[in-house]
Amino acid sequence: MDFNLPGEDDPRRIEVRTWLAEPSNRGYKALAEHGYAVPHWPRPWGLGADPELQLIIDDEIARACIRAPHHVNPVPINNCGQSLLKYGTDAQRERFLKPALACEEIWCMLFSEPSAGSDVGALRTTARREGDHYVIRGQKMWTSLAEKAQIGVLVARTDSSAPKHAGLSQFLVDMNSPGITVTPIVDMTGEQSEYNEVFFDDVIVPADRLLGSEGDGWKLSMLQLQTERVALSRPGAIWGSGPSARELMEGLIASGRIRDPLVRDEAARLYVEGEILRLLALRSLSDRMNARNSGPEGAVRKMVAAPHGQRVLDLAKRSQGVHGMVKDRNVLPMSKGERGPYSNWDHAFWWSPAVTLGVGTQEVLKNVVAERLLALPRDPDPTRKTPWSSLHAQPAPEQ
Amino acid sequence: MNFSLSEDHLFLRDAANTFLSKEVDLAPLLVPGATIEQAGYRQMWDKLTELGWPGIIIPEDHGGLGMSAVDLAMIVSECGRFLAPSPLFGTLAGTWAILAAGSETQKQQWLPGVAAGDYQLSLAIAGADGDCERTNTSVQVSARGDDYRLNGNCHYVVDAADADKLVVAALYNGARRFFLVDNAPAAVTITQLDWRDITRQVCAVQLNDARARLLDGNSSDVWPWIRDRLYLVLAAESAGGLHAVLDDTVAYAKDRIAFGRPIGAYQAIKHSLADMLAEAEFASVAVLYAAWALSSSDPAAPLAAAMAQSYASDAYRSATARSIQIFGAIGFTWEMKNHLYFKRARANAELLGSPQCQREQIVKILETQHK
Repeated sequence: MDFNLPGEDDPRRIEVRTWLAEPSNRGYKALAEHGYAVPHWPRPWGLGADPELQLIIDDEIARACIRAPHHVNPVPINNCGQSLLKYGTDAQRERFLKPALACEEIWCMLFSEPSAGSDVGALRTTARREGDHYVIRGQKMWTSLAEKAQIGVLVARTDSSAPKHAGLSQFLVDMNSPGITVTPIVDMTGEQSEYNEVFFDDVIVPADRLLGSEGDGWKLSMLQLQTERVALSRPGAIWGSGPSARELMEGLIASGRIRDPLVRDEAARLYVEGEILRLLALRSLSDRMNARNSGPEGAVRKMVAAPHGQRVLDLAKRSQGVHGMVKDRNVLPMSKGERGPYSNWDHAFWWSPAVTLGVGTQEVLKNVVAERLLALPRDPDPTRKTPWSSLHAQPAPEQ
Repeated sequence: MNFSLSEDHLFLRDAANTFLSKEVDLAPLLVPGATIEQAGYRQMWDKLTELGWPGIIIPEDHGGLGMSAVDLAMIVSECGRFLAPSPLFGTLAGTWAILAAGSETQKQQWLPGVAAGDYQLSLAIAGADGDCERTNTSVQVSARGDDYRLNGNCHYVVDAADADKLVVAALYNGARRFFLVDNAPAAVTITQLDWRDITRQVCAVQLNDARARLLDGNSSDVWPWIRDRLYLVLAAESAGGLHAVLDDTVAYAKDRIAFGRPIGAYQAIKHSLADMLAEAEFASVAVLYAAWALSSSDPAAPLAAAMAQSYASDAYRSATARSIQIFGAIGFTWEMKNHLYFKRARANAELLGSPQCQREQIVKILETQHK
């Protein structure tokens, strides 16, 4: 056992750093061609890198003050791209992957709907097959990046005679197709909108944009939501991004606010939890390197990380006292460096209620942990086995 | 980088688990009025001696097994899982005191006997208020040449009654020094405290002109060095106990029916158990990190040890309280094991100072690094 991370003098680190120092290599196209956009993917897309090399590449990209490809174009890089490797056609891989990895085409994920959040299997958007294309009708919600995305990964219902999960399929949709309307959702931060509503008004999608087979939609969606990149050496307060408990401690010490005895104990508690989160992320990485099952850590880590992040941000905000209510980025001293989105304490704090909602609510996540890892009885879903059409009266299809 | 346990570590953990699951029987403690002796406190030591455990941490050239802190954590967390009543803690504490403060000659003189199981040790460190960080001032040292005599009281001394030799910390010439005292009838009077955690023996010790040998080490680093290792022991015990409590409580929640369903089907219960699983995993990782840091003399070892002890203490206390709640009223009875774990958790969170004290140590370390 060895908890030392790859050192500053690690030859692989030096190689990555040297390569990144070349100005012509700093663009996303160059990063993608070199395999640095998705080092964990097999060649030719990635490097088939072990988790340690992934960690080094992530570190060095951050150190070079380049916004990481997985922050610029998270959907293909973190979640959906790998589905094309396994379930896509040659033509789909050829058409979609290169521009996605080079961050030339931004993707978005069209999963949630107004009446299908945690219970995303209850989504109502339909895809009706007509000859060589599908016709999409419905509404998606909470879609990040929809405002700039060229490609959307859409889950829609293709078979309403099947039970809710079985009737779903996935499509790769051109976001500039006629009939798509994107409207920003103004969230409680009041700052630049992160999420959108996306309306589909009889949008035509060619049949060759179906990913996998009809009925694969649920399986693909679950795989995509569970794909987790090994990039959490710095457990930021918001889904791994943003400030961390370590930075909270540094800021409180630098500002002198650590001298308040209540702040002091609470900050120490958060620091300890943050360090253990970091260690757990590295341990699952290490277990994967040793081809050992990494145990319950992934789901458990997420379950702890979300409220942990909220408490980190909450203490940072409270340490300001009443001035914390004034819109002001200057909350705590913070070291420079690329840390992805939510990079200032103030914005991150007002954002933080979302952390226990996004990618499944905290309550659903606890169900998952209790049911899958502790084998406790599943919550009942009376709609799980019933044909969708007998649960929901469908609007008559427009001719 | 390799955070995974090696095959050797896993083997050691499984062997300890197999052994303890056979040898530890808490049933005699689940009878009202039971004491630690009834759970085989003394017999267990003989069995542990056959396995060589008294010498786990004693270097091979002093007759021990010379195993690492990671090996130790494997064994101790299994002891914690089964609440194995035995004087292992006291002997580990006394051994580390001799290793830290004893001269080479003193180590050669005493440690092989400990490793062979010829005698047990105990460490008297706490003051009357239970504080281990300041020197216990209720022991007076008088010296005439090499003839040291100790008088006064030692407090909250773990495994003292059965120990053959006590390491006693006392103020001498303005510094905390460590003395070795034979547990001789007239000079040393030991009273077992009516300690709520009946899986552990904790005593008050009275020294009456007890002859003592001074351990040569005279550095202010001696106690922190011992303490970090004792943090690891308590934290590993707590993490192991936490996993046992989790397993028992999950099993009960699947078994117990209320309103027509297993109680583990209700979110109020299953979410609480999900949290308990997380805390058990977190405690284990913190313990492994501390064990690794101590065994590889990493500069972060004091930080890692304090993190493990503060986290595991809080998590263990919280889990053992929730376990009683989930078992319902039966969990409140003496005949169930729940209270044994509840009490061990509370004891582990106090014996070396509270989790708040360890967090204060953590902040101090970070403040120093910041400068």
